[in-house]
Amino acid sequence: MGGAVAALDLDTELMLRVKEGDGASFGVLLDKHRSAVIHFLFRMVQNHAVAEELAQEVFLRVYRSRSTYEPTAKFTTWLFRIATHLALNSLRDGKYERVQERLDDDSKDMPVRQVRDVRPSVEQSMVYQAKLDEIRRAIAALPDKQRAAVLMHKYEEMEYSRIAEVLGCSESAVKSLLFRAYESLRARLAHMA
Amino acid sequence: MNCPLEARENAELLLDYCHRKLNPEAAADLEDHIAICPACGEFARNQQTVWKALDQWEAAPASADFNRRLYARIDRDVSLWDKLTRPFRPATLRWNPLAAVAACAVVLMAGVMVERYPSTPAPPAKDMAQVEPVQPEQVERALDAMDLLTEFSHHVKDSPNAKM
Repeated sequence: MGGAVAALDLDTELMLRVKEGDGASFGVLLDKHRSAVIHFLFRMVQNHAVAEELAQEVFLRVYRSRSTYEPTAKFTTWLFRIATHLALNSLRDGKYERVQERLDDDSKDMPVRQVRDVRPSVEQSMVYQAKLDEIRRAIAALPDKQRAAVLMHKYEEMEYSRIAEVLGCSESAVKSLLFRAYESLRARLAHMA
Repeated sequence: MNCPLEARENAELLLDYCHRKLNPEAAADLEDHIAICPACGEFARNQQTVWKALDQWEAAPASADFNRRLYARIDRDVSLWDKLTRPFRPATLRWNPLAAVAACAVVLMAGVMVERYPSTPAPPAKDMAQVEPVQPEQVERALDAMDLLTEFSHHVKDSPNAKM
């Protein structure tokens, strides 16, 4: 599998160049995947500063592991495995328990959120914020692994098999995780129709 | 078509349909089923609502100095690692003829020193005479005493009583 992956995956080739000492290739990988990793971690821990700190750790670990890197899976699978591992650890350690409480304060440490309307009215903004808080609460209420599975499925558009590789479980276990997660989300968010 | 909700392993069909990941043929079959199955119809509507709700959740962009901070951490990390591993690097990777010559010279010098000055002195043999250390003052006093004796013996020879 390793050889085939290396032949197909450009990211894997870039990482192999990093392994050979090409720092520029690391820069390419960083620019390409930085946003996805930060967004995933932000939705996992729901705190922008913590998400950035964890993302830094993810890329630092990638760089540190360059000499021992072997293309046994797609680069992004490996990358998200590191990110998920760090996110689950930080949630498990309870370092960021206050995240749940801070959902109301609209995360003061976050950069200005992108708003779709050029000039939303106060009412529109309030409705949007209320909806957003409800979505965030619904995601935060999911068990950690279900949350990770939903975020990878929804936002990273990963296949079941890749999510299974990232989470280190079987494909059927991922389907079960997703089914239960979406069941909870439907129960909490279906009224938004 | 069997109702996908009757078996959980088939429920992914509904999820994939709602997320537009189903192939057109399977999607058409499922749409026919949804038209006559209220439970699947409700599932699909609610799932699409969830999907649209999640679409609204936009994550904030990365900080402008994210890369700068990361590279600073990498620099610190690499320099620390470099410091820690430098003494353990194989010598062959840092081959320097001058250093090799110097190392050989040091080894030779050490060999000569060991040869000349054995590290443990041999114990004195029991039968051998013990030589006590003599101070210069003692030697001077002994020479003075010898001079006095010589002078005294001359006096004795020259005195009249000696001829008797």
